Amino acid sequence: MSLPPRTLGSRSIFPYLFGGLFLFLVADSWRRAEVNPGIFFEAEGREHLWRFVTGMYPPELSWEFLELMVRPTLETIQISVMGTLIAVLIGFPLGLLATSTFSFQGLLHESEYRGTGVRHGLKVGLYGLARGLLSLFRCIPEFVWAFMFVRAVGLGPFPGVLAIGVAYGGMLGKVYSEIFESVNTRPLEAIQSTGAGRLQIFFYGWFPQVLPNITSYTMYRWECAVRTSAILGLVGAGGIGQQIEISIRMFNFHEVTTLLLILFALVAGADYVSAKVRSLL
Amino acid sequence: MTGSPQYHLERVRKVFGRGQVALEGFDLQVAEGERVALIGPSGAGKTTLFRMLNCTIRPTAGRLSIGGQEVAELYGRRLREMRRRIGTIYQQHNLVPRLRVVHNVLSGRLGSWSLLGSLASLARPAGLETAHRALTDVGIGEKLFSRTDELSGGQQQRVAIARVLMQDPDVILADEPVSSVDPSLAETIIKLLLAISDHTGKTLLVNLHSTDLALSYFPRVIGMKAGVKLFDTAAAQVTPELLQELYSGHVPENGAGEPSREPEPRRIAV
Repeated sequence: MSLPPRTLGSRSIFPYLFGGLFLFLVADSWRRAEVNPGIFFEAEGREHLWRFVTGMYPPELSWEFLELMVRPTLETIQISVMGTLIAVLIGFPLGLLATSTFSFQGLLHESEYRGTGVRHGLKVGLYGLARGLLSLFRCIPEFVWAFMFVRAVGLGPFPGVLAIGVAYGGMLGKVYSEIFESVNTRPLEAIQSTGAGRLQIFFYGWFPQVLPNITSYTMYRWECAVRTSAILGLVGAGGIGQQIEISIRMFNFHEVTTLLLILFALVAGADYVSAKVRSLL
Repeated sequence: MTGSPQYHLERVRKVFGRGQVALEGFDLQVAEGERVALIGPSGAGKTTLFRMLNCTIRPTAGRLSIGGQEVAELYGRRLREMRRRIGTIYQQHNLVPRLRVVHNVLSGRLGSWSLLGSLASLARPAGLETAHRALTDVGIGEKLFSRTDELSGGQQQRVAIARVLMQDPDVILADEPVSSVDPSLAETIIKLLLAISDHTGKTLLVNLHSTDLALSYFPRVIGMKAGVKLFDTAAAQVTPELLQELYSGHVPENGAGEPSREPEPRRIAV
């Protein structure tokens, strides 16, 4: 039996072009990023590395220190939860507006793409604005957001919350809109045919379809937010991070070890909780 | 058992976005309580016709009236009220998979519920007994609290029928209701629909892939091909020659066959 003819696509030169570009990028990055594994094997390098590692051992486990760290630990959790909540509040509406099928064709994808006049202009404007805002929010690193919010509202957990809220809002909105894009309209049509109104269709047909996916992704982002809230502390945005920064500045590397262990436990805990929630969906 | 006219279509024409003519010069009269089967090759416009009959899309031209009301004049609340009186069972994939069966069944009531009432029902299902009775009537009462995507294709089709029972419409439209289930189950489901129509006197229109089911269970059979009506007659009058003509030039698909899914058409906004 003869094989069916191959598609023309397989003769394209693009795979080779991109392959070549990729190899060049790797080679060039190796040179420019000054990658030098030899440093670990030279006598001086080994010594530095050893001092760094031994300096961190054993972790600081005195009761007073641990007691002092309870508050920053809780603060880190609170920053991540509040930050993620704000991110959802930003990401959901913007993500909805940034979904092209939803913005241009409506809930059931029922209208034609090309509209007319003011109404269409408004749709294009809102869609573009939402996409632009989401891009802006997520292309500025949360670290930079935190730095700006510390300037704006002072030291403490609040700038951390705002930084996570805005930066993660941008990421959530982008992924939400992709989830919204993939909603199956056939159940919606069936619900409409029972005489249901717009909002009823939304809550009975649309929302249950997106809820598991957006919950799952939001839980994953919350996990990341726990880690991020520690980094944000380095610029003065509260939590464990701020304690790490202080301990490093004081050369108390034993304390840094303890703090990293706490952070590890927090991230592992968040991981566990989010896996549990996702398994329930 | 025939009464006043339920559907009245005159020279109905439907053209989709890029000038595709899906339906042309279509006339149809269906009386209250009548049971009609539509047959024809895929792409004949049967699904398009049904989506006009249940007020999902509007005709491009021609007249469509339901129970004496011109559909062209209906908007907003009155349009929704008209939709409430027409129940539709689709081929498949028209239940919300993540919802529990009870909510899919109760969604048949949305046309009669307020927004707040329907939201409250998502938390605490309103009318559990009626939902359970509807499910029992279609033979899967025990699935009330199952998740819909855990049911088999045939069971999901029964859920869709239970939803229509909850809706309690004047007309039941079934668009290829059995093309995704095996033949023995297909017969059961068709019999179930006929029994419902029998008990309640509801008008029943069914799109069918299987000419055998159409001819053996429905008094009136309509043959459609390429957007026009080829014949509309009593089942006994449908000759092998007519069927030959209906399906000539059409290559049968494997198995149950797929319905044509038209490009996203213009639907009626609420």
